[in-house]
Amino acid sequence: MTMPVRILVVDDEQHIRNSLATWFREEGYDVSVAASGKDALAAVAREGTNILLVDIKMPGMDGLELQRRVRELAPDATIIIMTAYASVETAVEALKEGAYDYIVKPFDPEAVSRLVRKAAERYSLLAENRALRERIVGASPALITSGSPAMAKVMELVDQVAPTDTNVLITGESGTGKELVAHLVHAKSTRRFGPFVVENCGALAEGVLESELFGHERGAFTGAVGRHRGKIEMANEGTLFLDEIGDVPPKVQVDLLRVLQEHELKRVGGNEAIKVDFRLVTATHRDLEAEVAAGRFRDDFYFRINVFQIPLPPLRERAGDVPALAKHFLQQFANQMNRRISGFSPDAMAALVAYPWPGNVRELANAIERAVVLCRGDRIEANHFPFAGPPASANLSLAAVEEAHIRQILAACSHNVAQAARELDIDRVTLYNKMKKYGIERP
Amino acid sequence: MKTRLLALGDVPPRLAEAVLAGLPRPYTGGEVGRLEIALGRCYDRTRAQVDAACLIEQIPEPGPGWLLLGLTGVDLFMPALTYVFGISHLGGRRGIVSWFRLHPEETGPSAQTILIRRITTEVVHELGHSLGLVHCVVPECAMHRSLWPEGVDLKHPEYCPACLETLTSSL
Ligand SMILES: [Zn+2]
Ligand SMILES: [Zn+2]
Repeated sequence: MTMPVRILVVDDEQHIRNSLATWFREEGYDVSVAASGKDALAAVAREGTNILLVDIKMPGMDGLELQRRVRELAPDATIIIMTAYASVETAVEALKEGAYDYIVKPFDPEAVSRLVRKAAERYSLLAENRALRERIVGASPALITSGSPAMAKVMELVDQVAPTDTNVLITGESGTGKELVAHLVHAKSTRRFGPFVVENCGALAEGVLESELFGHERGAFTGAVGRHRGKIEMANEGTLFLDEIGDVPPKVQVDLLRVLQEHELKRVGGNEAIKVDFRLVTATHRDLEAEVAAGRFRDDFYFRINVFQIPLPPLRERAGDVPALAKHFLQQFANQMNRRISGFSPDAMAALVAYPWPGNVRELANAIERAVVLCRGDRIEANHFPFAGPPASANLSLAAVEEAHIRQILAACSHNVAQAARELDIDRVTLYNKMKKYGIERP
Repeated sequence: MKTRLLALGDVPPRLAEAVLAGLPRPYTGGEVGRLEIALGRCYDRTRAQVDAACLIEQIPEPGPGWLLLGLTGVDLFMPALTYVFGISHLGGRRGIVSWFRLHPEETGPSAQTILIRRITTEVVHELGHSLGLVHCVVPECAMHRSLWPEGVDLKHPEYCPACLETLTSSL
C-alpha cells in the first residue's frame, strides 16, 4: 500500500470538522481534526501533516496566526484557508502570506474536491501513480499481461505519448482493446487525477450526439426540458475518449474542430462560451485515410486528431498470445460463476489457437465465458466452442456461410446489433432482415 | 450478510423495490423496509435542506450481519458542503442516499429508467463506503466519486475488480 496524504481539518465548529473529515476519508485520505490552533500545531508536529484546511475565524489563535506558526514548523505543508463570505478579504491576506488557496463556506463539493486533489498531487504523484496503475492493470490484465512483443510495442507507444498532452488516435479492429489503451493513456498522463469520459460516437444519431457531446440549454429542442452538461464539459481537466470517431458526421466534426482550436464551447441552444481544457483520445476501426480520400471525413479534423497514432494488432496476428489470454479468461469466468475448471483439453487449446478471431480479444472472452457455462466436467473441451465443430465444408451454400458469419459476428459483438452491422459493413435494417431470414434471435 | 433498503418517510411505491432488484452481488437477496423519521429535527431552515449527518443517526444501529441503507427524496447537505448525494458511516454498515439531485432533466419513460439507475449506482456507492471502501479511480466503478448527476451515468452500478476484491476479502 502507498502512504495516503495526511490532511488536518482545523475548525472550532465540531459539525464542520466532522463533516469535512468524513468527506476526505471517503476520498482515501488520512484525516485528523483539531478544534483550535494550539491542537493543530501539536497535530502537525506529531503527524507530519501534508495539507491543512484552516478556518480563518477561530477564538484564540486565528487562522492567519496559525498559518504563520505552521510555516515555521512545517514549511512543506500546504495550507487552504476556509472562510465565510464575509471574511474573504482576510483570506486574500492569507494568500499573500503563502496560503495555497482559500475556499468559501459552504463549499461546492466539486470545488473542494478539485482543490484538495490539486494540493494532494504535490505529495502523492509517485505513490498515486503506482496505485492507479495497479488498479488499471487489475481491471483489465488481459491486454497487458499477455507478454507478447506486439503488445509490448503498444505499451511502449502509450508510455511515450501519455505524459505529453498530444491528441492520440487509436486504430484497430473491433474487440482489440482500444478503450483500454485509451484508459492507459489517461492513467499515465498528468491528467490522471481528472475525469476520463467516454462517448461512443457510432451509436448515436447526429442530433443526439451533438447534445451528448456539447450539452444543451433548456428548450434547445423539443424534449430538452432542462440544462444538460455535455461529455466535453465533464471531461474538463481530464481526458475525453471518443470511440468510433470515423462515424462522426461532418457537421459535428466541424464543431469538434472548433472546440479543439478555441478551447471553449457553446452548449446547443446556448450563447455562453464555456472554457474547456481536456485531452482528446479517439479510436476507430475504419481506415480514416481512405475515408478522407473518399471525402467522407474532413482532412482538417483528421489532421488535428491524428497527431500520434497507436495501431492495435488483431488477435490473429498474435496467435501466440491466445493460450495466455484464454487461461486468464477461464480463471476469471470460472471464479465469477463459482466453477472448478482446471484448464483446456489439448484439442480445445488447438482449436482456440487455430481460430482466426474476427472479433478479437472480446470474442475470445465471450467464447470462453460460453464454454464455462456449457462445461460440465473439469476441463474445457473443443466441442464447447461454436467454431470448433466439424470443419466448414466447401459444399456449404452461400446462404449457410452468410448465416454462420452473421452468427459469429453477433456473438463477437455481444449481440449488439448496431455494432455487428458496422462490423459487417451493412446497415442495421439489413442486418435485422437477415437475422429474421435465418431465424437468429438475440439471447 | 443481508441488505435492507429503508424507505425514509414518503418514497414512491416500488421505487425501493426497483433499486433493490438492480443491486449486484454481494447485495442480492436483500429486502425492503420502511422507517418513520423525524425530518424536522434535521431540517435547516436557512438552507432549506436536511442535514445528512443528523438524518443518518436516525437509522438504528444494524444488527450483526445486516446492512441498512435509507432512501429519501429530500435535499441533503453536510455542514461544510452545499449538497451531497448520500452519506454513510465508513465501515459502519449504515448509509443514506437521496435522489433529490439525481433527477434527469429529460421527461418521459426514459427519465424513470435513468433515475432508478442513478439511485442504484449511488446506493452501491454508499453501501461500499458502509463496508469500508473508499473512492476509486476507475471511472466506471461505482466507488468513483460523482459530483454531478450526469457523472453518475458514467459509472456502472457495480464495482471494478479491484474494489470487489477489497470488499470480498474484508467480508
Ligand atoms: Zn463517496
Ligand atoms: Zn473501483
